[in-house]
Amino acid sequence: MNGVLVVAEHLRGRVRDVTRELVSAGRDLGGPVEVAVIAKDPSSLADAVNVEGVDSILNVAVEQEEFENDVYQQAVEALVRERRPDVILLGFTVNSMGYGPALAAKLGLGFASDVFSLRREDGALVVERAFYGAKINAEIEFPGKSQVLLLLRPTAWPPAEGQGSASVSDFSVSIGESRARHVEFVEVAASTDVDITQVDFLLSVGRGIGDADAIRQFEGLAAKMGATLSVSRPIVDAGWMPASRQVGQSGKTVKPKVYLAFGISGAVQHLAGIKASGTIIAVNTDPDASIFTVAHYGAVVDLFDVAEELEKLF
Amino acid sequence: MTQTRDTFANLSTWEIALWYALVVISTAIFVWGVVRLVSKYRKGRGAFGLDEPGRRLVRTATVVFTHSWIKRRDPLAGLGHLLVFYGFLVLFIGTVILAFQDEVARPLLGFDFWQGWFYLGYSLFLDLFGVALVVGLGVFAVKRGILKPFRLDYWRPDRAEGEYDRRPYVVGDWAFLGILFLLALSGFLLEGFRIAVADPPFEAWSPAGWALGQAFIGLGLEGGAAESARLVTWWFHGVAALAFVSSIPFTKAVHMLTSPAGVALKDETAGKKLAPIRDDAKPEEVGYGIITDLSPKYLLQVDACTKCGKCHEACPATASGYPLSPRDLILDLREVAEGAMGIRAKLGVPPLYEEKRSVLGDPIRPETLWSCMQCMACVEICPVGIEHVPIINQLRRRLVERGEMDPMLQSTLETIYTSGNSFGEPKRKRGRWAKELEFEVKDIRKEPAEYLWFVGDYASFDPRNQRVTQSLARVLHHAGVDFGILYESERNAGCDVRRVGEEGLYTSLVEENVRAISGCEFERLLTADPHSFHTLKNEYPEFGGAWTVIHHSELLLELIESGKLVPKERLGVRITYHDPCHLGRYNGVYDAPREVLAAIGAELRDMPRCRDNSFCCGAGGGRIWMSELSKEGTPRPSEMRIEEALELGELDYFVVCCPKDVTMYEDAIKTTGHQGEIELRELSELVLESLDVPTRTPS
Amino acid sequence: MRIVVAVKQVGALGDEVEFTDDERDVAPEYLEFALNEWDSYATEEALRIRERLGEGEVVVVTAGDEEAEQALRRCLAMGADRATRVWSDALAGADPITVARALAAPVRVEEPDLVLAGVQSSDSIQSATGTALAELLELPRVAVVTKVDYDHAARRATVHRELEGGLVDVVEVATPALLTIQTGINEPRYATLRAIKQAEQKEIQVVDPDDLGEPPDRVRRMFVPPRGEGAEMLDGSPAEIAQRIAEIVRESLKA
Repeated sequence: MNGVLVVAEHLRGRVRDVTRELVSAGRDLGGPVEVAVIAKDPSSLADAVNVEGVDSILNVAVEQEEFENDVYQQAVEALVRERRPDVILLGFTVNSMGYGPALAAKLGLGFASDVFSLRREDGALVVERAFYGAKINAEIEFPGKSQVLLLLRPTAWPPAEGQGSASVSDFSVSIGESRARHVEFVEVAASTDVDITQVDFLLSVGRGIGDADAIRQFEGLAAKMGATLSVSRPIVDAGWMPASRQVGQSGKTVKPKVYLAFGISGAVQHLAGIKASGTIIAVNTDPDASIFTVAHYGAVVDLFDVAEELEKLF
Repeated sequence: MTQTRDTFANLSTWEIALWYALVVISTAIFVWGVVRLVSKYRKGRGAFGLDEPGRRLVRTATVVFTHSWIKRRDPLAGLGHLLVFYGFLVLFIGTVILAFQDEVARPLLGFDFWQGWFYLGYSLFLDLFGVALVVGLGVFAVKRGILKPFRLDYWRPDRAEGEYDRRPYVVGDWAFLGILFLLALSGFLLEGFRIAVADPPFEAWSPAGWALGQAFIGLGLEGGAAESARLVTWWFHGVAALAFVSSIPFTKAVHMLTSPAGVALKDETAGKKLAPIRDDAKPEEVGYGIITDLSPKYLLQVDACTKCGKCHEACPATASGYPLSPRDLILDLREVAEGAMGIRAKLGVPPLYEEKRSVLGDPIRPETLWSCMQCMACVEICPVGIEHVPIINQLRRRLVERGEMDPMLQSTLETIYTSGNSFGEPKRKRGRWAKELEFEVKDIRKEPAEYLWFVGDYASFDPRNQRVTQSLARVLHHAGVDFGILYESERNAGCDVRRVGEEGLYTSLVEENVRAISGCEFERLLTADPHSFHTLKNEYPEFGGAWTVIHHSELLLELIESGKLVPKERLGVRITYHDPCHLGRYNGVYDAPREVLAAIGAELRDMPRCRDNSFCCGAGGGRIWMSELSKEGTPRPSEMRIEEALELGELDYFVVCCPKDVTMYEDAIKTTGHQGEIELRELSELVLESLDVPTRTPS
Repeated sequence: MRIVVAVKQVGALGDEVEFTDDERDVAPEYLEFALNEWDSYATEEALRIRERLGEGEVVVVTAGDEEAEQALRRCLAMGADRATRVWSDALAGADPITVARALAAPVRVEEPDLVLAGVQSSDSIQSATGTALAELLELPRVAVVTKVDYDHAARRATVHRELEGGLVDVVEVATPALLTIQTGINEPRYATLRAIKQAEQKEIQVVDPDDLGEPPDRVRRMFVPPRGEGAEMLDGSPAEIAQRIAEIVRESLKA
């Protein structure tokens, strides 16, 4: 049977955008698209998943409130065996990293992750992903695989919208042991810190600013310009700013009117977090920096020189 | 009346016996102290390092007797010390002569020479030098008490106020001046009283004593009264002198012994040629961690320090408020050595230390060690030959071995390890600057050339420095110089890696470079980077790479002098020139760049701190790879240097001939807000301008 | 107590590239190789757990050719005790699941209490090897871990899993278990060149892989992605550029 199985992702009662992006991708493949919602109360999430392009929704009730990888692996395994999709779509997300490859290994499925393009060529599935830090693209095929599991890059497809008319049914599974148990959530960021996904103007800094002292300087500049300071991952890894300020795939996806980046080279995961921004301006000393491929305006110049000049203008 | 005097006049036999007993006791105390010091030094690791003793002896004698090192940059202090030194020396020798007369010549040889013209000459000489001693002490008292120069301020940049107490040092300093003054004064009083007793006419040959004697006579103090005063003063002066002698090993006076020893032990290559680590060295043998890791030479040298503060004054880190003063580093090590195994340890006088406890952390903080730019200003000026720079390097080696370093430095070292350069650029990009020239630059791996040009990281990869490299290439091409480069086979030369203390990475870089260079045919090795120049010339030979190495300023001068390079334009620009540490202090090349600049018609005005007193830009010793240390409000070394230049008046250019200087000073001109008032030029760029060579860059 | 860390020697590209004749991979002379950044965090975490417990062994394993021994030596220099390398030509350019199949036997034979891997490798970025390996070893797993609290006596680990947006999921898992480690969890220690050279004296065990099965995918072609129009570049002095940026910002905020 030709069909696409999408595994919905949700967190604390809300369906994540990536689920709807997977639906779009499934439609590109020609469908039919079946979305499985694995949750304690899946029917409460069914509406959010019922968008244009979804043909059927499977409510998979489990005991666990939140994601646990053994639960999802067992549930999806049952789905794959019974529903027999030829393509299984997961988001390239932290959750999926916990079980997707395991399932592929166990069932001998075709597998590729961080896929940002897919198509059928003479019925065979061909996808594209990147290698070597996003400098090289590759076409991937799956000879001899009747079922392929893919982890798709978030924001690579637009989220499917509108009202769908999917049929909804229950799919029962019996889940065995869940060996890695969710205990609780911890908000790492101070709840008093600003939510960078809600502001209009972000001034963002990356590895190129040099050292922790420079953060002070750019914080000052941001304040003067009326912007909020955000950062790329290396800054958080070095401990110079809290994770609440991190922009990128493992941080926050932002869509400000203006995104002004200093010293950010544009790793793929970071670009994924800013693509929806209105105007992206990038300042970097490296003319080959990837960020210039998504930025609207760019300047190859010393960051601190420009920063100093900007301070005078605001 | 015979011109002489009885040294033991009016002393009973038991008094004379008591005197000799005191001599023996004070000598014994002195010897005990010296033996304790020497046994402290011998606890160090390794040898004293007294190779070529004859040459060292001559050097030490010259330095000590001409005071050539003491009077540098402070002629007044030099004069003061000269007076005190010779004053004390002459008086001391005078005492020895007297002792020889009394204990050897007369009793054993029946020979009495201390009389007649000899006595008169002796008296005059000693009196004059006694006065000199007092004048010298006066000079020091004025310096310390009234002039109060910065270098005598015991402020520490690596501790907060209240964290340290320098009063013992201050007390010790004044006590030293005090006791010497007391000895001189009591000596003159003694003379005066003696002369006032009988007023022999020949004693006019002791002018100072004679004057005092006349004054006493005038006051009615003569004959028996004067004799009583004389006896009291005799005992006072004698006991004070013996007490002083026995106190030498325990007080500041010890520098009379340790400082000349420090001078004798100093190596000319100190800091310039660092010692390699044996391959099989255990972690506790790498660098310095505990006080007994220091070599006996260094344990002695830290005792040679007189707290003169010249290193403190010269250090660019101290000037920028970084937590480093070379003086305090040496004094801290001294306190640990003394408190762990010296005289203080033996006597139980705090602060006490455990011999086996690491000095890293307390009292030597890691940030103190990482503040150093390894510029050698301290070693250059130290009057007693202390080698601060290699000591800091050894302490850094232990920190690196333990992995305790600034994260930015760690990441740079890892980058150098993987990419062979500090920029993290792919190796293939090294020769990229050459592609933009109007002519081809030879690949010396494939074709022979007269010069192998070792370009260096900054000159190859940094955009501003690439322009300098291209300028030099054009100059050399114009002069018909036959040169080639290693392209992607070149690695970081390793100079700063070594100075940071990562000896293993240094060795591996050297091995790679030596292998690459040895496979090429050339006559001389050329470089425009003083850091590369220094290590290629001085340290690579030990690893099998011995070539003739020349700096581009030297080559440019040769080309100009031989007529191969003829400046078409005399530039007529007003400039100042900054001596790079690794070219100047490290290798003594001060004149070649200046002569080149003169030849192209640049009007040179030197900054106050030039040549061997040049003020480091702040990039050396790996500091350019570490986090900024200067606090809000305190300028960085490079910023201070630009201000120093601008104080010379209207200048067109600040001229450098080192890639790191280019980077640091371009930045400093901007951050000090002087953009537009002065511009930076590298030597090659000015030479190219003077040649008026058209440069077409291929489109 | 034994921890096994799976590491990878990754290739990094400069700004130039050429492909192999079959266009299925990059020509190796355009790559510069080093230990995968995530794996240095994983190795450091293993060393810290060992130090905290005061006992135990850290073993590093890689699927790679002789060049990959450089990555192993770096880990040995950091303080790992032993290293094993598994290789056959079939592993050249292999996908993560095939690599996991190769790693399974050498890891299983160590009977580890914990297996650590990096979340992903910087050259493939599949984030799959660790999780696939866990499945083949039949171990419970947690992916994208930013904190590990390992209670050896209780045979249990409490870990933090880092979700998108900065939220942390606290997960409890019984050990033996496999954890994939995220960057920023610790500060990897510096391995001096001396230590790396001394590590060259240590013996690295080399083994052949078991049956690798069928690969889950195949690279048909690698190519340089076409660069889009890209940004409109601003020229001039910093002051002029700042002026333009200020204009653009003000305009865009009005919209």
